[in-house]
Amino acid sequence: MLTALKGGRVYDPANGVDGEVRDIYLQDGRIVAAPRDGRPADVNYDLTGCVVMAGAIDLHTHIGGGKVNIARSMLPEDHARDLVDGHRHPHAGCGHAAPATRTAGYRYAEMGYVACFEPAMLATNARQAHMEMADTPMVDKGAYVLLGNDDFLLGALRDGRSPGFIRDYVAWTLKAAQALAIKVVNPGGINAFKYNQRQLDLDEQNAAYGVTPRRILTALASAVGELGLAHPLHIHGCNLGVPGNVETTLATIGALEGLRGHLTHIQFHSYGTEGDRKFSSGAARIAEAVNANPNVSVDVGQIMFGRTVTESGDSMRQYAGSAFADPKKWVGMDIECDAGCGVVPFRYRNKNFVNALQWAIGLELFLQVNDPWRIFLTTDHPNGAPFTSYPHLIRLLMDKSFRNDMLATLDPDAAAATILASLDREYSLYEIAIMTRAAPARSLGLEGFGSLGLGARAHVTVYREDENREKMFATPAYVFKDGQLIVRDGRVLEEIHGATHAVHPDYDGAIERELDEYFTRYMTVRKDNQRVADDEIRDGGRGALVLHPVKPA
Amino acid sequence: MQLAARKDAGFDVTRNGCRRAQRGFARAPLAPIPRVEGREASFASAVSHAARLLRAARQPHFAGLGTDVDGMRAAIDLAERCGASLDHAHGETLAAMNRVLQTRGWYATTLAEVRNRADHIVLIGVDLEQRYENLVSRCLRPAASLESARLEGRRITALGPRPAPAAAQPAEHLRCAQDDLVGVLHALLGLLKGAAPDVRRIGSLPLTRLAALAEALRAARYATLVFAPGALAAPREPALTLLCELIDELNRGGRAALLPLGGDDGAQTAQSTCAWLTGYPLRLRVGTRLDYQPEALSTAHVFAKGGADALLWIDAFGTLGAPPAGASGARSVMLGAAAPDADCEVFIPVGTPGLDHAAQLLRTDAVVSLPLAAQRDSGLPSVATVLRALLAEMR
Ligand SMILES: [Zn+2]
Repeated sequence: MLTALKGGRVYDPANGVDGEVRDIYLQDGRIVAAPRDGRPADVNYDLTGCVVMAGAIDLHTHIGGGKVNIARSMLPEDHARDLVDGHRHPHAGCGHAAPATRTAGYRYAEMGYVACFEPAMLATNARQAHMEMADTPMVDKGAYVLLGNDDFLLGALRDGRSPGFIRDYVAWTLKAAQALAIKVVNPGGINAFKYNQRQLDLDEQNAAYGVTPRRILTALASAVGELGLAHPLHIHGCNLGVPGNVETTLATIGALEGLRGHLTHIQFHSYGTEGDRKFSSGAARIAEAVNANPNVSVDVGQIMFGRTVTESGDSMRQYAGSAFADPKKWVGMDIECDAGCGVVPFRYRNKNFVNALQWAIGLELFLQVNDPWRIFLTTDHPNGAPFTSYPHLIRLLMDKSFRNDMLATLDPDAAAATILASLDREYSLYEIAIMTRAAPARSLGLEGFGSLGLGARAHVTVYREDENREKMFATPAYVFKDGQLIVRDGRVLEEIHGATHAVHPDYDGAIERELDEYFTRYMTVRKDNQRVADDEIRDGGRGALVLHPVKPA
Repeated sequence: MQLAARKDAGFDVTRNGCRRAQRGFARAPLAPIPRVEGREASFASAVSHAARLLRAARQPHFAGLGTDVDGMRAAIDLAERCGASLDHAHGETLAAMNRVLQTRGWYATTLAEVRNRADHIVLIGVDLEQRYENLVSRCLRPAASLESARLEGRRITALGPRPAPAAAQPAEHLRCAQDDLVGVLHALLGLLKGAAPDVRRIGSLPLTRLAALAEALRAARYATLVFAPGALAAPREPALTLLCELIDELNRGGRAALLPLGGDDGAQTAQSTCAWLTGYPLRLRVGTRLDYQPEALSTAHVFAKGGADALLWIDAFGTLGAPPAGASGARSVMLGAAAPDADCEVFIPVGTPGLDHAAQLLRTDAVVSLPLAAQRDSGLPSVATVLRALLAEMR
């Protein structure tokens, strides 16, 4: 079937197309050239007055795994405010901060997203994370597996094992967990918290292993680079949320020494200690460092005012944050000599100085990092805000007067402490298309995604042009996935199931033997039970496994 | 786990199995022949009879829910179709834990952490020999640990009516009745907070021994409180809340965590799968709208007062016995791996996850899930297969 999308204004930065009126043709799940013989399309869409982009990609959103499920179970009152009935969606569901898997999938599709990536999958919890993602319909998905607090890696670094050994272990973990990338969370700090260390700065030693976060970071960033993964090491740095952590973050960028790295939810790592309240914006310095270091990319983790829940592997920092839980409840866990987690409900308030400044710091970062190919639009769902706030965030970026109106509602001391009002930048549609499509596709190595070029996957989102960008981005007119119309006027038409993206880099089989021994001696499952089989992902045909090539150095 | 096939198609567990696993695996499979109103029936006719029964019901209720992840997925989809409520056989324990989760939360740990990191383990009113005997060799007294000094110096305390199992010895025993646990835990918390109760003993337990325990816990590098929510005397929340508070207190200056044991008979699997698919843990009604009512939708309650008029009972592990007596008046469909212990209109024999079909199950800690391969070809369908056939029949 040939589908013609005619007369829309196309924003396709992957191919340098900036708002030209063009026709786009879809056939057999791909973008194809206009038929030369003048053959009419089977279906025509008149997209006059519409904006056309590739399907959007969220490269950092907590959509599946143990801590997400703890949050769901913990927050019936949050669900009750956002019940979705079975007439609205193919299946009933609920949830704003910690939605049901199905509700999350439908809502992502309804915003024009075609792929979502869970950034904090534990190797020990990988099977569950994949089962949850299998039950997240509409979108393609994938996950980054956590390393850097597991006793195996810390032991290997303590023992001075070779870079080749570390690389083999990283490769084994990626394959066993069916992951697309590696994430490190508070390097060594989650482990240190199990030994009652309450903070761990970049050059402080984890007391149990005598290893510093810097050492863990560089070992993992090197291994990821040598394995040739498209996505660099995904870094949730030390000292999340701590005033003054801007210094740690700058030092972390320095510690990479030119190695590629992605610093995630950088907003939470851009705090200074100036002013009466000893809390200030470090955004300008961070933005300057990102601008000066092309090896670094970031996503923002913008906060929005309202209720949400913070879900993090960072048990050390979540323990500290639990004092601010709202409502007053939280769960922390030490997990399987592998990692940890903390789930803390939270309410960001615009009249609270710190929260208001956090909001401003996120926007300052967006507006001061120059290259939209290296900064991605996230709220670290749901840690800064639920992903459903993306259209509002886009409006804040694209509309200075709207932004300033919002700024005027903030705690006045916070408003006085931010330079936001002086930042005139307004994102263009082209830049939005970069940061939500082309750039994440490139960063993750997702062949055929984030592009409307010939041969690309036929993932297309069509918006009705509207001055109010929030309205425009909230309710796409059409969303096509693999050429199939799945959403019309912001409503899911039919439930489909996406594929799972992963990498299986090669490794020396010797690591298998050593891990066999390790699991048998010390763990409570066998190594082979930790491994998620390809067929589990394929799930009897409901799922599909897309393996991406790696390009070893 | 290592299995040896027997002539009757049951299995002997030769390695790594606990007694519960041994019992389950030893059971010979049922003949794959459903029964409708007591008479043998084809699979197709049993399914269509069950579908008619559910369709005719005003308010169906799905219970037992002893099944794997896929079985639970199918149960939720079928429940959505019929507007059924859902409860697990251990729903009372799950609901108690959920109330604590939803009002205050906790700090928990998992099996491998305890095995490798704990230096003081307190077994609180939990009888490991009855249910969790493998825990001793896997966690309490394993052959090896990443922290060998902590393993060698590991202190184990049993607080409750029974001493620690022989294999966990040496272990001290602070004897108290199960019913006294709330008082004991309350006193222990007071001692930790420097507000010792003005009594000599709690039940039969001298306060001095409890004071010594408090001191030891304060000195521990990684204290672990092991308990089984299901073993606590009802109402369970006071004890559960105190356990959480004890850990909070210990974590102020040191490190400690809870290890809750449970999730038996697929309880953790049912609960977790339900939570990700619907957003809510058990118990709830699934239909065009979700209706989370963790107290009112208990199996006992819905048949007593809630107006439920049909029961779908799922027991793929063959461990649950009969449904609660209150349900006996309702029309019922049972899916079981063992012959039913109660009358039912439709009985469909099903395979056991990890024995008759491949399956995924969640472990008690809600972190680790296990892939189980099929061990024999019994011709028995999985719960998911039966429920999906039912769903297709109802469309
Ligand atoms: Zn995150």
